[in-house]
Amino acid sequence: MILYTPIQLEQVLQGLDEMKSAKTKQVMISGVPALVQVEEDGSNKLVKLLSTDPEHYMRPELVPGVQVKI
Amino acid sequence: MSNENRQGVFPFHPSQPIQPSPGKPGDDHQKHSDRNKDDDKTKASMESVKELGANNIPQVQSSIHCLSIVGQVEGHMVLPPQNKTTKYEHLIPQLVALEQAKEVKGVVIMLNTVGGDVEAGLAIAEMIASMSKPTVSVVLGGGHSIGVPIAVAADTSMITPTASMTIHPIRLNGLVIGVPQTYEYVEKMQDRVINFVISHSNVSQEKFREFMFRAGELARDIGTVLIGQEAVEAGIISSVGGLNEAINILNKSIEGNGEYVQ
Repeated sequence: MILYTPIQLEQVLQGLDEMKSAKTKQVMISGVPALVQVEEDGSNKLVKLLSTDPEHYMRPELVPGVQVKI
Repeated sequence: MSNENRQGVFPFHPSQPIQPSPGKPGDDHQKHSDRNKDDDKTKASMESVKELGANNIPQVQSSIHCLSIVGQVEGHMVLPPQNKTTKYEHLIPQLVALEQAKEVKGVVIMLNTVGGDVEAGLAIAEMIASMSKPTVSVVLGGGHSIGVPIAVAADTSMITPTASMTIHPIRLNGLVIGVPQTYEYVEKMQDRVINFVISHSNVSQEKFREFMFRAGELARDIGTVLIGQEAVEAGIISSVGGLNEAINILNKSIEGNGEYVQ
């Protein structure tokens, strides 16, 4: 993997060591298979969709980073 | 956590007052489910206000779709959270959906990126270049490094007068071991970017390489910064312009396809 950016690499990768390997689980959100990250407060943050239907990726409520209820 | 405790969340006012519409008594069920749909929509927009700080504009059906590529193009590695990133694994199915959807007639790509993963950037650029629908890209603030091939991938590329593009060599910073092999690997990665840019724009290979390795322009690096008109003169970008020009060009090429209906 190569990063091609004018920003100093130290700046981009700062904090990489502290990034814990996040606890993720696979769930269904209104019929769409997705990978969510379980936060410390117990909430679920959408990491990515696992669906093969491209229309699912156009749905505004299924954008990576949103809190989802399961 | 309740909404009141969160900063930046304002009381929600629906953009349109819910009005009872005259209709047949049998429509009640239909109306009810419509209202549920509206509730879902407002819920989704509330979520995006809360989580992303972005407010959903009342939905207008448009034949043009806008794809914005901002911050770092995130590829094979998840970047630390201080980076604003565009995730390519989400963009690629979106491009598939846009290509396939009959109601989408054209795509405008808004770029304000500081580069990122070479392969993710090239993947997005190849996807845009291979779309059958008219595409226009606009470089807004910056289209640096891997943003250059993404910008030239569209049928027509535009740059705002104040936007800049940094062209510099690809450097070794990945997790690659072995010195001679590594050198060749980086060279090959660089050739992939150069070949894509020269085959999708009017810049020559010699000129692009010269921009890449020019000394004395960047403070801590070799390379070139092209601002607005300079990128057009170099042959990388088609023309200087903003939103109005981009939408006009897109509408014209949609009309040319005989599909544009207003």
